[in-house]
Parts: sequence; C-alpha cells; structure tokens
Amino acid sequence: MVKVTIDGRELEFPEGTSLFDACREARGEALPHFCYHPDLSVAGVCRLCQVEVEGMPKLTIACNTGVREGMVVHTRNERVKTAARQILEMHLINHPVDCPICDQAGECGLQDQYMNHGLYESEVDKDDKVHKAKAEVIGPHVILDKERCVLCSRCVRFCDEVTGTGEMGIFNRGDRAEIGIAPGKELANNYSLNTVDICPVGALTSRDFRFKKRVWLLKSTASICPGCATGCNVRVDHEAGRIFRLKPRYNKEVNGRWMCDIGRMTYRGVHSEKRLDGPMLRGDGDLAPVSWSDLHTFLAERQVGLWISSPAQTLEEQALLAALGEQARTSGGVSTAGRGDGDDLLLHGDRTPNRTGLEWTDLQQHDPASLVALVRETSGAVVVHGGDPAETAPGFLAAVGGRALIFLGTHANATSKAATVVVPMSVWAEKDGLFVNKDGRVQAVRRAVARPEQAVEDWRFLVDLWSAAGCADAPAGLPALRRWLAERVPALNDLDLNALPAGGLAPATAPAGAGGDE
Amino acid sequence: MTATKKAHPYGGKMTFWERTYLPEVFRGMGITIKHVIHNLLHTSEMPTVQYPEEHRSYSPRFRGRHRLMQRDDGSPRCVACMMCSTACPADCIHIVAGEHPDPAIEKFPETFDIDLLRCVYCGLCEEACPCDAIRMDTGIYEIAGTTREEFFVSKEFLLNNKSDGTEV
Repeated sequence: MVKVTIDGRELEFPEGTSLFDACREARGEALPHFCYHPDLSVAGVCRLCQVEVEGMPKLTIACNTGVREGMVVHTRNERVKTAARQILEMHLINHPVDCPICDQAGECGLQDQYMNHGLYESEVDKDDKVHKAKAEVIGPHVILDKERCVLCSRCVRFCDEVTGTGEMGIFNRGDRAEIGIAPGKELANNYSLNTVDICPVGALTSRDFRFKKRVWLLKSTASICPGCATGCNVRVDHEAGRIFRLKPRYNKEVNGRWMCDIGRMTYRGVHSEKRLDGPMLRGDGDLAPVSWSDLHTFLAERQVGLWISSPAQTLEEQALLAALGEQARTSGGVSTAGRGDGDDLLLHGDRTPNRTGLEWTDLQQHDPASLVALVRETSGAVVVHGGDPAETAPGFLAAVGGRALIFLGTHANATSKAATVVVPMSVWAEKDGLFVNKDGRVQAVRRAVARPEQAVEDWRFLVDLWSAAGCADAPAGLPALRRWLAERVPALNDLDLNALPAGGLAPATAPAGAGGDE
Repeated sequence: MTATKKAHPYGGKMTFWERTYLPEVFRGMGITIKHVIHNLLHTSEMPTVQYPEEHRSYSPRFRGRHRLMQRDDGSPRCVACMMCSTACPADCIHIVAGEHPDPAIEKFPETFDIDLLRCVYCGLCEEACPCDAIRMDTGIYEIAGTTREEFFVSKEFLLNNKSDGTEV
C-alpha cells in the first residue's frame, strides 16, 4: 500500500494503481477524460486528465501515472482547471456544432465535459472549422462522422486489443488527422457496436438506432440478453412500449463492458410482425380466435400426455412445466435447437439463454429422433411451451397425429401453424424471470415493455393451469413462485431469489457481486 | 362563542334616499347616456371591433398558429432534433426523423405534425428551436374546424403558413 494525498485527503492505494483511479476514488467522480477506458490500454492522447503533482515542474496526465509513496496531488486547483478548459477548447476547435443532428447529444462526453469543465466563449468562427467527411458507412452496423471525432483512439484500441481485428486507424496528421478504416476493410466484426458505446462523441453512431429516438427520452430497464448462453447483462432502452436498443451493462463476471452485435439485435423480435396476437382454437380446419373462457374449458377437458419446454424459457417457467408434467411425461425440447457458431469472446454457440435451467429443473433434452419417439410413446395432448419442434424435429407433427397440439408461444412458426390451440405468450422483455447462463449464474430478466394486449405472462398462465389441474398450493405471485423455485431446485436451495444482486448469482461458487457501472 | 354583529359592508345604516335607490338609478343612467352621446359624436374612438369584417391587430410578439421556416430551396429548415417536442408541455409535436440524401444536412423531418387541439400556445417550441425552424409569428388565431383531424396539421401545411397570416 502506498500513501497518497489527493486534494488534501490522505488515502492508501495498492501499489500499481493508476493515479486516474486513485483520483476517481478520492474525488468521488472521474477526472475529465476522453481517451482513458478501464478495459483498454492507456493512450494518453486527450490530455484532459492532467493533475498537478507536487515536485513535478509541469502538469501530468493521471491515466498514465502510477501512484507513488508520498505523492501530493491537486486535481481541483486553478492551474488544473485552466489546463482542462484549454485542452477542451483545443479539442473543440474543429468540432462541428451540430448537436441538434447528432445522435450522441444527451449522452455525449464532449457536452458533459464542456458543461463541467469548459464553459468558455469560443474564439473559432463556425466557417473557419476544418470540414471532413460526414455520415460515412463503415460497416453493417456503424456509421462514421469524421468531423465529430476527437481522436481519442478508443475505437482503434478496441479493434486492436479486444477483437484483435484491427480495422480502424488514425490517418494523416495535424488538423487533417482523422479516424478511418484500413483500406479495403470494413468494420464488420461482431463487436462493432461496442465502438459506438465507447466513442465519447458522436463520431461513431449506430446505423440501427440512428435518428430513431433522442436518448434523453429513453427509459432503461436492467435485463439479460436472450441471444446466447453467455447471458450478457444488458440495459433495455425503451420508450412508450417500444424497445429502441440494447446496451451492455457492466458485469465483470460475465461480459465486462461489452456485448456482441447479434445480441444487440435480439430486441427486434419483440416487435416482430409474427407475434401471436390472440388465443386461437382450431375449429373446422382453420385456427380461429377464441375467448379465454372457451380456451380454458378446452384445456380442462384435455388429458395432457407430454409437456415440452424449451431452453429459451425462464427458469420459473421450466420448473412450473416440470411440476405440471409430474403426472405425464416432460421434455426440455430438442437439444440441437438454437445452435450456431460461437467465438472465444462472448458469443456462445448455444443461442438460447437458459439451457442450464433445463438441467436444473430435470427436463431432459432430446435429439430430434428421440423427441419424435417420445411423442409416439405418449398418448393424450402434447403441450409445447416455446421453441419450434415442428421445424427442428422432422416427423414431430406426424408423431402427434390427430392428438391435440397445444402451443404456448410468442411468434408464429411451423408448430403454431399446425397447433390445435395457440396461446400467445410474452417474450423475455415483457416478463420477469430468471435465466441461468452457461456457467450456472442465475440472472434476472425484467419486464421492460408491456406485452401485447392479448398475450399472457407465461408463469401466470402455467400457475393457472396448475391450479386448474388440482394443485391447491400453487404459488401465487412472483415472490412466492421464486421461493417455491428455490426449494424445488437443489442448486438454488440456499438462495433468496427475490433479492438477487444486479450482477446475478452463481450458486456453485461464492456469490460474486458486480461492480459499478462505467 | 357569542354571535357578534356584522358591520354593514358600506358602513352603517342606509339613509332614506339610499333606501329608495333612485339617486343611484339616475346616476347610472347619466353615465350611460353620457357615453352614448360621446360615442355618437366620436365614432372613430369607439373600442368595438367589427369582427369578422375587421381584425384586431396584435403585437408582433403575439403567438399565433405555428409555421415551419424554409431553406432557400423550399425544404424545411428543421433538422428533426426533437428539442421542440421535448420542450412541449402539451406533448403535441410529433416528428419522425429521416436520413437526408445530402450528408451536409444529414437529418430532416420526414413528418412533422402538430396537434393544434392539444397545443397551449406557450411558445416553448420556438424558444427551444436551435435552428429558428419553428415560429409562431403568423398572427393566426382563428383556428376552426369541424373534425379533430383538421387540427392535426402536417409538415406541408406548416411550411406554407406565411408570417403575414396568409396561407399559400
């Protein structure tokens, strides 16, 4: 431990701490900065985080300085403030004043730094600014505005150090220096939208989110990406019942500060045109809308022979389905469904968020042939909750034959088209639930937007079915359901699922909390 | 608590003449007749405006129906920054932004609708506008219609409101 005095406060830090982090702790807020990023190497190019260290003749940048025993540092005196203001003025010399157009406005580092540390009168005429290319498409997800760039090189370091793809670079010198793509390349890696997140200004913006919504109108809900078994922590940004984007949420145990582009696009399914929009019953050949009471009457008359869940359902739903199927056979669906190519960063080959949950709730997965065989073995109605076995298990519909096929799902697919009964359910962003990721970490998805008017919340519907089937003490309400779940699943026995920390819990190891948000 | 006698609002008991009300009746008639004679002799000073043949002129600061300013080529000056709709306390401005083919302009309003029935004419939109694209200086205050849809005005309508109050 070394003793450092920052702004008159004497504090101790472990050796090797950067002065930047030490100052953040001492001040309670970060020093002004653009180029520093906790997950990237130190570049020291923006010069904004300069502090005065006694004994040094000139100001020094905190990000590239380590703490030393007996250091006396000043971060708030007039000399430091003037330096930050002047450096900021230099950054803004050629920065266009097009905040009304810029998508970053509202979450822009430059706006924040100017309001906190700048507030000078500009001496540069708007017409004297150096103009560069605007709105250049540099990849499938990212658009580049070279004028707005402050050359902090975060995106360049991200592509070099995190993805290792090295598409980006800084070209030319002086006030003609600009960020760009290496000749013949495009920013097409699966993590390209992280460069948009870390860009402190509006130079890199998302093509998907571009001009859709001003950021200050968005509301955020902490949730989990349903895109693969990694279970990246995300922030769902939504407004008026519509999701506009997913952003990574810091969890050092799972995804750090990153998430992949495939995961970010999963929100599109929520507002898909294929969403099922009402309960339907097959009458004379065709599926026709049916009232809820008629639907429940129909279900009450059927003896269910097989319950099939899916690795995309939440842990609560899987456990409820397993409980419902205790008098019948159960299955966790087809094990090959939702497989894709993974990579060694975040994207997992298993594109379903909760396959571990199936194991925990004792729902066995089958390969297509054995699922079809299981269907043949059973008699009575077949309930499919999520997934699309008609597509993934060839011969499934033939095996069901003339028996009732009850589909509880969200989107129209081959199974819903062949079903006798279709019950519209909620997608991950419309319900509360738990996902268990590939490492056995239990994380909560939270309701961000309202579900379609006619859809039901999955676990409520299953609890109702269970009560109707004669269970007297079916859990009522989410807290009771989670207590019931913790008792039922051995891995969760000691956990309070109603008080999960923001970063989730991994029952196998010691509970590891997530750090703060960057 | 004992009931206290309330004071007479005009200060005490009325006299005999006051109780007849006649002096006040004649005084009121006198004022009315004085004005009738004055107005008949000085018709130009009468405050009455012969609406709708005549319109009262308001100060230039009067906030009338909105208009959207045009660039030289007739396209809207608005860059769809949503400042006005953010500032709007009545939530009556609905903008859908689009990508402009010219990268120097970059962003423009694909639709710009104002619900005049919701609008409270507070002027916060024109104050918030960083591009001087929306103004309320048309002086138009006669906003009438027979259906709700007529009050839901579009970008094209707003672009053709002139400051002198005429519509093109």
